[in-house]
Amino acid sequence: MATRTTEESESSQQDKVTAFQIKDCALIVRITDQLPAINLRELRERIMSCSDDSLYHHFCETVIRPSFDDPEFHNDFAIWARHSLHDHVLAERLEIIDPYSFPNMEELRKEVLDILADRLSEIYFIPWALHEKAFYFHTATTVVFDTNQTIDTPKQLKEAIANMTTSSLYYHFWESRRRTPSRKDDFSVWLEEWNDRGEALIEAFSGIDFYFMNLRELQSKLCATVENILGR
Amino acid sequence: MRSLQEYEAIVGPAVLNQLGQLAANLQGLKVVHVNSTKAGGGVAEILSWMIPFMQELGIDASWEVVEGDKPFFTTTKLFHNGLQGNQVNLTSRNTSAYEKTSRANAKRLRPILELADIVIIHDPQPAMLLHLCPNRRGKWIWRCHIDASRPNRQVWKYLRPYIEHYDASIFSMAEFSRTLPHPRFLVAPSIDPLSEKNVELSEREISETFSKFNLDPDRPILVQISRYDRFKDPLGVIYGYRLLKRFSPVQLVLAGGGADDDPEGAKVLKEVKEAAKDDPDIHILLLPSDAHRTINALQRCADIVVQKSTREGFGLTVTEGLWKGKPVIGGYVGGILLQVINHHTGFLVNSPEGMAQRVRYLLGHPEMMLTMGEKGREFVRENFLLTRHLREYLTLMTGLRRGFSDRLIATG
Repeated sequence: MATRTTEESESSQQDKVTAFQIKDCALIVRITDQLPAINLRELRERIMSCSDDSLYHHFCETVIRPSFDDPEFHNDFAIWARHSLHDHVLAERLEIIDPYSFPNMEELRKEVLDILADRLSEIYFIPWALHEKAFYFHTATTVVFDTNQTIDTPKQLKEAIANMTTSSLYYHFWESRRRTPSRKDDFSVWLEEWNDRGEALIEAFSGIDFYFMNLRELQSKLCATVENILGR
Repeated sequence: MRSLQEYEAIVGPAVLNQLGQLAANLQGLKVVHVNSTKAGGGVAEILSWMIPFMQELGIDASWEVVEGDKPFFTTTKLFHNGLQGNQVNLTSRNTSAYEKTSRANAKRLRPILELADIVIIHDPQPAMLLHLCPNRRGKWIWRCHIDASRPNRQVWKYLRPYIEHYDASIFSMAEFSRTLPHPRFLVAPSIDPLSEKNVELSEREISETFSKFNLDPDRPILVQISRYDRFKDPLGVIYGYRLLKRFSPVQLVLAGGGADDDPEGAKVLKEVKEAAKDDPDIHILLLPSDAHRTINALQRCADIVVQKSTREGFGLTVTEGLWKGKPVIGGYVGGILLQVINHHTGFLVNSPEGMAQRVRYLLGHPEMMLTMGEKGREFVRENFLLTRHLREYLTLMTGLRRGFSDRLIATG
């Protein structure tokens, strides 16, 4: 019996697997009804009662909204602690939190509140921000739309990812972890349908420490990963 | 009239595709913007590109202007100043003039506004129209372009009942907003990279600007573009320049307009001239309001752009400076904080001494000035061009149509 080539195998698998629909998204940010926090104690009180969406926004959507491309800190609480409260210790403790390592927003909230409570117990005065540097709680609505582009085979992933907008990449790699039951990126969910042809990529994608990358860095990393595993 | 396609070379095809995809679900949507002038001022500048671009994307967008007499505009000027926290005296004569003219405008505009799917009212001048359009069927948004965080209480007490009935409001920054009983969204302003103020200029035109204003291209030039206003701290800039002068043969350009009809501006300008004395390296320019190309050229002549404000709105002059690839030394206030990132796009300072020290440091590190300039330009390209502004309006309009109850709204 003749050995089937990779292309033939991919082509036969392709008949069974649904094409990956590339989507894109845009965010509109909204100010919540919570009062702004002006000191560390108020920040803790507000975080106790803020919505999950707001917590998610300040931890995870910082990567997509207008911000500097090479930030020192990755979540808004760490940024505020560093630049408005000038509490460097607290900023570092908040910065190291990876929100995707928590099973849900409530667990993440508990961790943040613990860190803030610990800090409050260590210091002899409550750090305050200037009036104009108060912390405002936001949330965002994400509008998702079709790009009318698809990926038919894993081999096409590299080129497709290289040509994606950063917001599209955000939607499929970051946002998907909140949206999908398996809490994985959309590419991995799709690659599962490709059985052993997808396994190596899924494993490699799961090993990427994406939270501390900006979206352009992630794009390069994903392209390089696909190339390493599937070849040029 | 420019088309969106002309921006492809600047923002890339993906950004334009996004706009088309977002607008696909808004085809034929009747959107009416209302402000108080067709020409002059930042709002008119925004609407002059936003309306045709929305139309190009298949939205039935139009632009209406409220008409009024002198007492009406005197009152709306009081609103404007009062919302920004200035002390004003709002009399019953003022409010009568405002209400009378608003009613006349409503009579004229009702057929258009009541039929619209979305009405966007810019600033306080047309704010009463919602109250006067009882048969409105669409969503009404109040777009506040100014810092309303600490308004004069008398003015806010009068305007709030009109504004709180809107379906949503938009502010440029959270810090500029007021608490209101409806959703408040954030949309930062933007610049048009192909406008006279920002378009690329030829080397010849820049070189002519050096000659025209008697600037020496071989010595460092600092430029601050702003009206003569105490909050822009022109006297502080001159003081900082004098501190610098001991170390560097630097030249300073302070350029702005609109002082003729502004008694306070004229007073500040006089003080600035006195502070400059007869220093030939301080160039104080009073420019007409349409001198966009001259401002563009002056920013391009600069080695460093300065915006040492002590109070600031968003600070579009900072955006313009960054877009021209210049490091910016900015005051630690308002929207400057969103744009000047210490050690990346420039430096934030709190005093003339801070300004002098940072300029001195940068002049000694020309390679850093280049890196900062490149970073600043890319930062503006990603975040503060009109395509991002348009995308956020389209996103907001989609949300308004579909409801904001879900965090994620899928279209198509």
